[in-house]
Amino acid sequence: MTVAGGASPRLPSRRRIRPADTFLNVWGVLGLVFLFFPIVVIVVFSFNSGRTLQTFDGIGMEAYVAALSNPAIVNSITVSLITATGTAVVATLLGTFAGIALTRQPGWWAPGLLILLGLVMVTPEIVSAISLLPWFVTLGVDNGLAAFNIGQVRLIIANSLFASAVVTFIVRARMTGMNQSLEEAAADLYAPPFRRFTDITLPLIRPAVISGALLAFTLSLDNTVVSSFVSVAGSTPWPVYIFASLKASLRPEIAAMSTLMLVLTLIVLAIAALILRRDPSGSGGGAAGLTSAMVGR
Amino acid sequence: MNQPQNVRILIPEAMKKSVSRRMFLGGSAALGVTAFLAACSSGSGGGGSSSGGLNIYTWGEYDDPAVLTDYTSAKGPKITLDSYGSNPEMIAKLSAAKGTTGYDICVPTHSNIQQMATAGLLTELDHSRLPNMKNLVAKVVNTPFDPGNKYSVCKDWGSTGYVYDTTIIKRDLKSWADFLDAAQKEASGSMSLLEDQSEVAYTYFYANGIDENTTDPAHIAAYRSFIIDKIAPHVQAFESSTNASISSSARALIHCWNGDGRLGILANAEPDRYKWVWPTEGANLWQDNWAIVKGAPHEDAAYEFINYVLDPVVSLKELLYIGYNTGIEGIEEAAKKADIKRPDMVFISDDIMKKLVYSQMTSAEGTIIGIYDELKAAAGK
Amino acid sequence: MTAVEERSAPTQTAADTPPGRRRLRLPGGLGAVPISLWILLFFILPFGLVVWYSFGYKPGIYETHANDILSLDRYGEAASPAFFAIFLRTLKIAVTGTVLCLLIAFPMAYWMAVKLAPKWRGIVLALVLIPYWTNFLVRTIGWQISLSPTGFVSKLLQWANLTDGPMHVLYTSAAVQLGVVYNYLPLMILPLYVALERLDPKLLEASRDLGGTAWDTLWRITAPLSAPGVTAGMLLVFVPLMGDYITPTVLGGASGSMVGQMVAAQFQSAQNWALGAAMAVLLMLAIFGTSAVVGGILKVAGRITTAMTSLKLPSKEPS
Repeated sequence: MTVAGGASPRLPSRRRIRPADTFLNVWGVLGLVFLFFPIVVIVVFSFNSGRTLQTFDGIGMEAYVAALSNPAIVNSITVSLITATGTAVVATLLGTFAGIALTRQPGWWAPGLLILLGLVMVTPEIVSAISLLPWFVTLGVDNGLAAFNIGQVRLIIANSLFASAVVTFIVRARMTGMNQSLEEAAADLYAPPFRRFTDITLPLIRPAVISGALLAFTLSLDNTVVSSFVSVAGSTPWPVYIFASLKASLRPEIAAMSTLMLVLTLIVLAIAALILRRDPSGSGGGAAGLTSAMVGR
Repeated sequence: MNQPQNVRILIPEAMKKSVSRRMFLGGSAALGVTAFLAACSSGSGGGGSSSGGLNIYTWGEYDDPAVLTDYTSAKGPKITLDSYGSNPEMIAKLSAAKGTTGYDICVPTHSNIQQMATAGLLTELDHSRLPNMKNLVAKVVNTPFDPGNKYSVCKDWGSTGYVYDTTIIKRDLKSWADFLDAAQKEASGSMSLLEDQSEVAYTYFYANGIDENTTDPAHIAAYRSFIIDKIAPHVQAFESSTNASISSSARALIHCWNGDGRLGILANAEPDRYKWVWPTEGANLWQDNWAIVKGAPHEDAAYEFINYVLDPVVSLKELLYIGYNTGIEGIEEAAKKADIKRPDMVFISDDIMKKLVYSQMTSAEGTIIGIYDELKAAAGK
Repeated sequence: MTAVEERSAPTQTAADTPPGRRRLRLPGGLGAVPISLWILLFFILPFGLVVWYSFGYKPGIYETHANDILSLDRYGEAASPAFFAIFLRTLKIAVTGTVLCLLIAFPMAYWMAVKLAPKWRGIVLALVLIPYWTNFLVRTIGWQISLSPTGFVSKLLQWANLTDGPMHVLYTSAAVQLGVVYNYLPLMILPLYVALERLDPKLLEASRDLGGTAWDTLWRITAPLSAPGVTAGMLLVFVPLMGDYITPTVLGGASGSMVGQMVAAQFQSAQNWALGAAMAVLLMLAIFGTSAVVGGILKVAGRITTAMTSLKLPSKEPS
């Protein structure tokens, strides 16, 4: 029998559901238009050569030039990228080991850790923000651990919590589906745990680790609320810069830089999709595999 | 001989990809380490002037961007600006972070200076490093709220009023009573109040002939019921940095300070659309001051910057942009010679000055802040 | 596993292990230690501190918190009518937003997972994800520009005579509602897509073959089987929505304010950490509470539906 959605002519039931098909097609396309609407607006307004973002006042590339030559903007983008990389590294390390441990050797502690990770994921950002700032100040000032006064350190720590929970779930989902006998076989062949890990486990969970790292990177780039609470002057990440401009006045440079960042994100994701596509064990191909991994199934 | 063969069959993919995977792991580790090191060196707040910057925590759109770039070209340090919309917001950030904000300069309004000094948020100023202080007029130095200028130096001073869109509000508005009335009528849903708790209270007090620094519980209770029952439903936004809204004609009635009003009106495509009002009952008189944050990482640059801005030529540039009186000797003549636009909004005439009252930190401050929070919660539809 | 079978050498077991060479197994759960410590240090402890603060009070105008006198008064304050109204408004926006997301996302996910040809699915999925990868704040600002009374949408509507006068949507609850539905829609589409993609199309065909209408198929086959996706999506949308701080700040102005902003204000300007902490705890409780209640309702509803729609097959065992 044919797969749903494929062409199967002359079945009487087909004619009955055709209006539903058109409805779904229209709905789907409208949905995509809806999703892209503000993005298109931002991209269009990035070519606004006026003074404020909201009032369109002529078309030009001035905003792009201004954005790239504005030291505050460039600095905040740099801070964001460094933070995102740091977060990806930390979250991937923490999350991969935790995911493996949860699947391979779950003990009495496993339910507890799962609840903890779930708690991290359901806590609203604002609650994390208000708890981390006093905590950093307590650690950094009251207890003299100067590392916690460094803006970048604070940002990486703040962003890595949620990200490491996400990576844990992704890796765990991936590993649950994997047969343990490969690792057992390696152990039988006297491979020490480290080599078992690097030669067997890691390559098999590679797509999960990569998608986890990417997700951590992108989540960190997007983090606004917690970052705005804990950031230190001079290490202002990009979304916090925008948030601050929101209160004063928005300039077209912001739209310009956002468009550039969007292009950057797309390039990174395209590379990721390419890497994942080449992996034969990724389910359903690049994008779907990434999604499945993201949602943790 | 057979066993290596079997191992290859056993895990073919892994073996093939082992090199690239190791490179990936090693690469990311290296990247992480480099990133961390780079971050530590660039983000070190306590590194002193080695990173050569200057972090200013000030109000929105409160400095001429040209002045800032001129300073960087003349003296070196790159300036980063962060802004806040009210004094409590600034104080909350500084006191929560206990000196780790990384800010060098902040700009408190006069009434907050004693409180901030007591809370240990400000550094005592070394006047020998601010020789240009002599350029300030007598009125703005050695004031009751900071005797001897121990902690602050005048940045500028001004007053509060409002602007309204003459195409929407067709009648002439002249007073705070008119402001509150129009807020409930023509400008309902299209008016904004300053984010300043006390300023909002002053609109009511002045409209009802009450001293702005009152601590009478009856007055404050009356203010509370009025603002929450009558005004809250009509407020569209709480905004301190109003010139963007004025210049884009975003609202019909905007509570603002004189300099912001001027900036907005001048930047609006239709300069006559908005009318500025010096309310007849009088208004708040305030002075904003440069102060150095305790724990400032770039104290030298901070002193240099403040001294730089107190120079009459630089001060004139600032004044021409921000539209507030910077308190420098002879600035009014210099501005008029420079053909300043809308001098009436910058240099306050004597008969208006007579009605302006300096705000004070009173015992009612806590209650007023509480009422403002309630107002924010009740605001809008 | 074929790999094991292909080994032609005699199997080596632990019993055959030559002396001096033991199979090394690291203690179970070692890998979970770093993350546990991390979370303990940077999540549990700070949150515990916040809960601790919530039992304190604000000693004076210029101090943030004190805990020498413990009480539940701050919770009373946080639940006072003025603030409670905001809690209710937040809950209303969150519930409405989640339901709207579900209603919009389900047909889309169905379209993507079932109706589209497989070669298109990847592309459309990527198209859905691209706005999600854009900065949250930036796409909300995109709406702020669009919904502005002097913006192009307003001008267009006025030109087409669909409204008289500028559009008054921005800085109202309606704008916030629109904003949150937009921002969290991908989070609803994705789990639904994954769940629906796993749906065996043969089941749908079987339903049609057995004489079921499209509606029957939808309600009795598709919906129940996609239930885990629906639950995941609703959770993924509802939880961050309740604590959303950015959308109401950008689009809400004074009227669209939500709990997140209230909590932030206590820390950022009012300097009342005790009250802010109490509000934050109440927010968490509200999220858990609502999720639990809704989860319970859905479970009961699911049981009822299953009972009503299941067939009782004749028993084969002799009674």
